[in-house]
Amino acid sequence: MLNLLVSIKQVPDTTNIRINPETGTLIREGVPAVINPYDISALALACNLKKTYGGKITVITMGPPQARLALKEAIEYFADRIILLTDRRFAGADTLATSYTLAEAIKFLEKTDRPFDLYLFGKQAIDGDTAQVGPGVAARLNVPVITYTIKIEELDLEKRKIVVQRKTERGIEILSARLPVLLTCEKEAGHPVFSPLSAILQAQKAEPEVFGADGRIPYDLNRLGLKGSPTRVHRVYTPEIKKQGKMINLDEVGVEAAVEEIIKLFKAKGVL
Amino acid sequence: MGKVKADFEYDVVIVGGGPAGLSAGIYLGRKGVKTLLIERGRFCGAKNLFGGVVYTESIKTLAPEFPNVEPFPCERQVTEEGYLILTERGYVKLTHSKEDRTHSFTAFRAKFDPFLADVAQRAGVDLAPKTKVVDFLKDDDGNISGVIVDRPKSFFDSSPASISAKVVILAEGVNRVLSQKAGLYSRDFQPEEVVLSVKEVLQLPKGELEKRLGLKEDEGLALEILGFITQGYPGLGFLYTNKNSISFGIGVFLSELAKNRVRPYELLERAKTHPFFQRLFEGAEVLEYGAHLIPEWGYKGFPKFYGNGVLVCGDAGGFVNPLFKEGTNLAIYSGLLAGETAFLALEKGDFSEKTLKVYEEKLKESYFYKDLALAKNMKDLFLRNKHIFSTYPELLYEAMSLFFSAQGKFKREVIKEIITLIKKKRGFLGVLKDFLSFARLFW
Repeated sequence: MLNLLVSIKQVPDTTNIRINPETGTLIREGVPAVINPYDISALALACNLKKTYGGKITVITMGPPQARLALKEAIEYFADRIILLTDRRFAGADTLATSYTLAEAIKFLEKTDRPFDLYLFGKQAIDGDTAQVGPGVAARLNVPVITYTIKIEELDLEKRKIVVQRKTERGIEILSARLPVLLTCEKEAGHPVFSPLSAILQAQKAEPEVFGADGRIPYDLNRLGLKGSPTRVHRVYTPEIKKQGKMINLDEVGVEAAVEEIIKLFKAKGVL
Repeated sequence: MGKVKADFEYDVVIVGGGPAGLSAGIYLGRKGVKTLLIERGRFCGAKNLFGGVVYTESIKTLAPEFPNVEPFPCERQVTEEGYLILTERGYVKLTHSKEDRTHSFTAFRAKFDPFLADVAQRAGVDLAPKTKVVDFLKDDDGNISGVIVDRPKSFFDSSPASISAKVVILAEGVNRVLSQKAGLYSRDFQPEEVVLSVKEVLQLPKGELEKRLGLKEDEGLALEILGFITQGYPGLGFLYTNKNSISFGIGVFLSELAKNRVRPYELLERAKTHPFFQRLFEGAEVLEYGAHLIPEWGYKGFPKFYGNGVLVCGDAGGFVNPLFKEGTNLAIYSGLLAGETAFLALEKGDFSEKTLKVYEEKLKESYFYKDLALAKNMKDLFLRNKHIFSTYPELLYEAMSLFFSAQGKFKREVIKEIITLIKKKRGFLGVLKDFLSFARLFW
């Protein structure tokens, strides 16, 4: 029986994101929140593993109270237990404070229940793109980490061994490791899950267990949130788009002149 | 009714999480009936679209504490409401200020419907979003006794899940596929029975909305727009103010669009070049673009509202009163009546047509059914008599131009000019005929 932990993040749906040109920050108002797409892969991978090997899935997130909606949705991926870490003192955390907060919570869960075999993270969140939280948690838990996972080739629970395909810039690496191990997942890691009605119904009713910085999890308050975050944002700006297309109005110049003009431009650029 | 085996068991299954289905659900949930509401969209309201106004009276039947709810699911209270009649370059604006500031509110479906869904869930209704009903379950006698959905049963059984129900309430919206399958409609709707409505949400720089429309921060405007906006095609435009944006749209009968090969967004773009909107929308950014069909088959196209084990309400039943902009209202009221009927049937333990016929009787007693019966010829009149959408707006504008530029002229001459204008544009007989045919709708 596998004991799986999946860590997810609720992010703004960046398919229709807009940036305030004056402040350079994201306009979050009216932008729906979704589960980070790479975390969906991690959830799907967990779901497929549970279907094959049996076991239990615990899903954890740190975020504002409305992140409970992301956790409820995780139930649709066969999750058994959902944990929300939310507290004003967690707010403003960079990747250092976030990985500390998550790791301490995971240690707490392992102490009060049983250790996890696999820790699954998305490769990165689409709002911050740092890809640091997964590896940061692995370091604090003192477990090996395999980033950019695309496939689990082999999983032997008896020998406590896993073989994983990992995407790199040069090709695919095949690595083996001993459990427990932390994987950060690429899009390809989990096949899309078409959740059954039973899970859809459960997800509607499920509510996460909520933990804060109230002492149940033994946090060092100085390492949480803004206080525990050495990162300072110096400036955020939207890069100017310098390249511009040249428009030729057919109604003005006619087709033939336009073709000649294009050929001239191509020649000038050395394309032709 | 013969017993059917199903993966999930409910007393009532509602198909569709718009205001009609949610109203039925809220009623049944509060009566303690085991109810499942199935919604195709990601959440209730995700796939829904309307122009933009909800009325407090009907909402109070579902949530008596409205509008004192947190977070508030609407945009602005409507404090000014009326008509904007357009000619190609000019306009006549006729609005009234509303005394009762809690009478109606502008809203977005994607925000308002989740509020109703929350009320329904708190009433004990089970919700299944992202789920599509593909067929009915039938008992040995062929009576509807549940539904089959596209979702599998469980993680280990990929066959489609079946849900048994004593009554299925169809609130599936304008694309009434299941209602047809249930035999409540005998055919597809025709292009002249639906209006294709398109809508843009335009955002203005902060403070500009108030400045340009003469509103305070807590005030809102609702305009129905007639005339040039539809290029004379039978239909209406609308403009509603949201918190920081304006909902602006046009609805025209699908048959007219098809016949004249006009695309609705072209009408919208064209309308934006009118001086009134050019000024209003200067520097505006389009946040959203949406389109939806409005069922306007009305009384003459009404379905059979009930069958063995099934009822239909909301848009799917054709409950829209375009002249008085009542769609959400009728969805709520018809949904409630469907809920009442299902509850009655459960008490009696009989789910056949014999019992469910009560629904039709309840509908016939309602104000909105009577309204639609009264206005049964309206659609035909609008499609036939296009003067309403072209001649009269121009006539009104030109007559007012003459009237208000009458300085330095003998006023009898001005009145004469106006009379000549009416004669030329439509003729007295024509005006009389139009007036009578319009009046006849209501008498």
